[in-house]
Amino acid sequence: MVGKEKNKIISHKQLQDVAGKGLLSLQPPEKIRIAVGYATCGIAAGADAVYQAFEDFIRKEQLTDEIILTKTGCFGFCKQEPFVNVVYPGKPLVIYYNVAPEEVKKIIEATFQKDVFLEKALCKIEHWNHHTAELDYGKGFEQVPIWNELPYYSHQQKVVMRNAGITNPNSIEEYIAVGGYKSLFKVLKNNLSPDDVIDIITDSGLRGRGGAGFPTGIKWRNTRKENSETKYIICNADEGDPGAYMNRNEMESDPHMIIEGMIVGAYAVGASSGYIYIRAEYPLAINRLQRAIEQAREYGLLGNNILGTDFSFDIKITCGAGAFVCGEETALIASLEGEAGRPRVRPPYPSVSGLWQNPTNINNVETWCNVPVIIEKGAEWFKTLGSQNNAGTKVFSLVGNVNKVGLVEVELGTHIETIVCEIGACGIDDNKIKAVQTGGPSGGCIPAHLFDTPVDYDNMKKVGSIMGSGGIVVLDETSCMVDTAKYFLNFSVDESCGKCVPCREGLKHMHEILDRITKGKGKSEDIDLLKVMSDTIKKTSLCGLGQTAPNPVITTLQYFENEYIQHIEEKVCEAKVCRELTSFYIVADKCTGCTLCAKHCPVDAISGQAKYIHVIDQETCISCSSCFNVCPFDAIVKLSGESIDTPENPIPVVKK
Amino acid sequence: MKVEEIDEILKKYSEPTGQTLSILEDIQAREGYLSKELMPVVAKKIGLPLAKLYSVATFYSFFNLQPVGTHIISVCMGTACHVKGATQIFEALLDLLNLEGEGMTENRKFILTTEDKCCTVTQARCFGACSMAPVININEKVYGYVTVQKLPKILKEYGWKGKK
Amino acid sequence: MIMNKKVEIKIDDTAYLVNEGENILSFCKTVGIDIPALCYNEALKPYGACRLCVVEVKKGGNVRPGITASCTLKASEGLEIITQTEEIHQHRKILFQLYLAQAPDSQVIHKLAEKYGVNETPFPPKRKENDNLGNECVLCGQCVRVCNEIIEKGVIHYIGRGYYVSINTAYNMPSDICMGCKACAEVCPTGAIQFEDIGDTRHGHSWSETKIPLKQCSICGAYYAPQPFDEKILGKMNPEIEKKLTEMCPVCRRKYMSKKQTAIKENRFSILNLK
Repeated sequence: MVGKEKNKIISHKQLQDVAGKGLLSLQPPEKIRIAVGYATCGIAAGADAVYQAFEDFIRKEQLTDEIILTKTGCFGFCKQEPFVNVVYPGKPLVIYYNVAPEEVKKIIEATFQKDVFLEKALCKIEHWNHHTAELDYGKGFEQVPIWNELPYYSHQQKVVMRNAGITNPNSIEEYIAVGGYKSLFKVLKNNLSPDDVIDIITDSGLRGRGGAGFPTGIKWRNTRKENSETKYIICNADEGDPGAYMNRNEMESDPHMIIEGMIVGAYAVGASSGYIYIRAEYPLAINRLQRAIEQAREYGLLGNNILGTDFSFDIKITCGAGAFVCGEETALIASLEGEAGRPRVRPPYPSVSGLWQNPTNINNVETWCNVPVIIEKGAEWFKTLGSQNNAGTKVFSLVGNVNKVGLVEVELGTHIETIVCEIGACGIDDNKIKAVQTGGPSGGCIPAHLFDTPVDYDNMKKVGSIMGSGGIVVLDETSCMVDTAKYFLNFSVDESCGKCVPCREGLKHMHEILDRITKGKGKSEDIDLLKVMSDTIKKTSLCGLGQTAPNPVITTLQYFENEYIQHIEEKVCEAKVCRELTSFYIVADKCTGCTLCAKHCPVDAISGQAKYIHVIDQETCISCSSCFNVCPFDAIVKLSGESIDTPENPIPVVKK
Repeated sequence: MKVEEIDEILKKYSEPTGQTLSILEDIQAREGYLSKELMPVVAKKIGLPLAKLYSVATFYSFFNLQPVGTHIISVCMGTACHVKGATQIFEALLDLLNLEGEGMTENRKFILTTEDKCCTVTQARCFGACSMAPVININEKVYGYVTVQKLPKILKEYGWKGKK
Repeated sequence: MIMNKKVEIKIDDTAYLVNEGENILSFCKTVGIDIPALCYNEALKPYGACRLCVVEVKKGGNVRPGITASCTLKASEGLEIITQTEEIHQHRKILFQLYLAQAPDSQVIHKLAEKYGVNETPFPPKRKENDNLGNECVLCGQCVRVCNEIIEKGVIHYIGRGYYVSINTAYNMPSDICMGCKACAEVCPTGAIQFEDIGDTRHGHSWSETKIPLKQCSICGAYYAPQPFDEKILGKMNPEIEKKLTEMCPVCRRKYMSKKQTAIKENRFSILNLK
């Protein structure tokens, strides 16, 4: 891309000029705009091939003057990627799902005829509320549902994800076209003092979206009131909860909203430098943010004398290096200082003595995302969303054994039932849903009978879990709760920094106990020991990792103690997950002797030749499920605590 | 890696001690790993005791302290992937590549490299592609909806010649 | 502390007048209130690793009421804490059980645990073959902190993280910067760090057999100080010190000084003619 001469934005008119440019590419008046979803999910699902197919077709048919081909972020329905959205001037924006390269031609042809390729049309947008702006796309295409008429989107409120999947994340002009960076004028050029800004954020009731839910306004105030020439703000983008990827999408689909939020925050607390600490596993997010920072600098929105005022601020990106514990504030600071990520004692809190002992304000990615919208629309507006003391929306990643997997943004206070069953369309393969796990390794399991619990900071705590950063993993009858607890504990053991005894030593021993239980070697005193250890580790650990690591064990013991007892006393794993307690048998009258299972068995435990009923040797079998997964005739059963009769040796298949 | 190349990397950073992680990441991006020969040189240039630099390198899972193969295969062991059978994928991978052994390094990372140095298998925490679980990542390319059956085809893309 | 402002705090329902900002664990020790601690050292910043010093905060202190490490508490007006409760005893019991498993061969830990009523542990021992710290280390971190922050050499550091974290030199190789000052061994609460002087060399058995040359006394021939450490100290001393003294071991130095004083008293300088 050729570098263009860009003028630094000082006046409102200059901002509007850039907005105009952006609008031309977002809603070209005389061209068709085709945007391919290009966040990590989309790319993994094949967006590259789709984009290539469009590019080739457009070139071949010489349509470059009539079609603008571009990229966009993620609209949230990750299971249905690759997404493509198409705009014909004056017609509704159409979102196509699960697009294959072969369908590119049909989409373009239909569009030219001012029509829709119905087969792959998911929904349409006639009017879009970016909150910082509103855009009209024209009416029509009656056969296509409006986006929020779809069950998946019907309860969703896109505030954080207001631009994701619509605008091009690589274009600052498009961001400005939908009202981006307007809040800077309000804050820097409208006689709003830093304290005024903090008042707005405090009034809005915004709470930290990283999981702790600490009131953001109070945090900012604490840093503001420190007397120091040097202060820092940090964006915590070390999203480490496995199964949670909201922040990743926020950074990949709309990097500028984070930057805008940070500029406002820096002004409010008095910082002139900011850091974004991103985990190394997110290379695309790092790339998009880096680009966005450079673009912001070119327009004078970062750097010296922003908007011509005497406020200067710039942002640096630093990558993590694979340590979950660095999501903890003091560990993150240690990591930024070039050390191992070992948490430090608090007090002193980072707002008093943080990065290089200077007052530092750290907030999660999603917290920063909410700032521009709150400034633009006001604290009162923000409070109309969400519930009492839990204002606003939250992006959740709905994953696991649920039908519709993806990112979901709903008002805080929405019931679990709504998210899992109405938006997520309940369990897969008609399996009964057992529980959801929220808050990752720091959170807990919430059983199905408590799905009428509203999802927000306070209510999640009441049932023993935490909302955390937004990961919601759906577990069904094929999940073993003891195995789940063991999985999360294993994660915490691996990620423990090793500084304090309860976490370093205690979690490891808890994991050993759980391991024994899942292997049929549990002892009757194990449950009490787990409870007592959980309490000590929770109360005496140095940092949040240790303090919350026992939560999966505590909640599964609270709601699923029967599973633990079954494992210990009966040596049974009802979900048939724990290998040492699960056996596999070939059902004689279903086996056709195809030999597929024997070929896949890694330990040669299956005997039999072609057209002979195969037999699994229980002594040799390691319960790895390979045979179970490959049998085309469902002739293999998984059992725990029971067995079926099988021939001792392979016998010929009886022809029916 | 030559000394000049290290200097080149260091020039990017204004306060080298504060940017230890970034410097090590840049070096690993070029060399594939942090060699025992290079570390004392880097420590001296950054102004850190070697023990401290080694402490940082062994703390973070990201750093390889041993040479790695041409292709790095990371199996995601995140929650969504775990629920969808990541362990089986991991074991099948080790089996297909004939990889055995403890695999644990000083920084408690599981990492094994094939004899012909073609492939390195490691575990990763979560790539954030949970909707397509189970997921593996080869040289930064993400593969979703992976099954044991699909593995041989994927491996062949990287020059795998079949199980020995 | 610039101001010597006094504040009133309550410990176990007894009121005390304390300097504002004074470390609570430290204060408790001075007034004889028993709180165990392994990672606390007056010379180092509070570290919060051993967790044995936990107390219950009833109110005040700018911290939430509840269980907190007393080494991180600072005296402020109205702070009220309790050092002995059922809950604290329960936590200490589990913690000591963890310690017994972690440092199975440490007599110091066994005795300390016994003092608090813990004689056995349900957890399997962490025993490494040929452990450089004899399976007596509790990873309190004092040695690392002393060497890096006070002595400012950085011979040793943590290696890895989590349960298998260890402390040693880089790559478990002998160090060429160790001064042999033994500050690490001095601060180690369990005595796990081993140094041995054999002939003209100080052997750092715990630190990958690091060897430090010892300085020899010019009078009696005894090996009395690690050379690098000696050089560092001399570098900080008054350059006008009599050079002879810097080549003598403490015993010979004392003898020389006493002879010198006698000589000065009796005006008999000839006795200062030492071989």
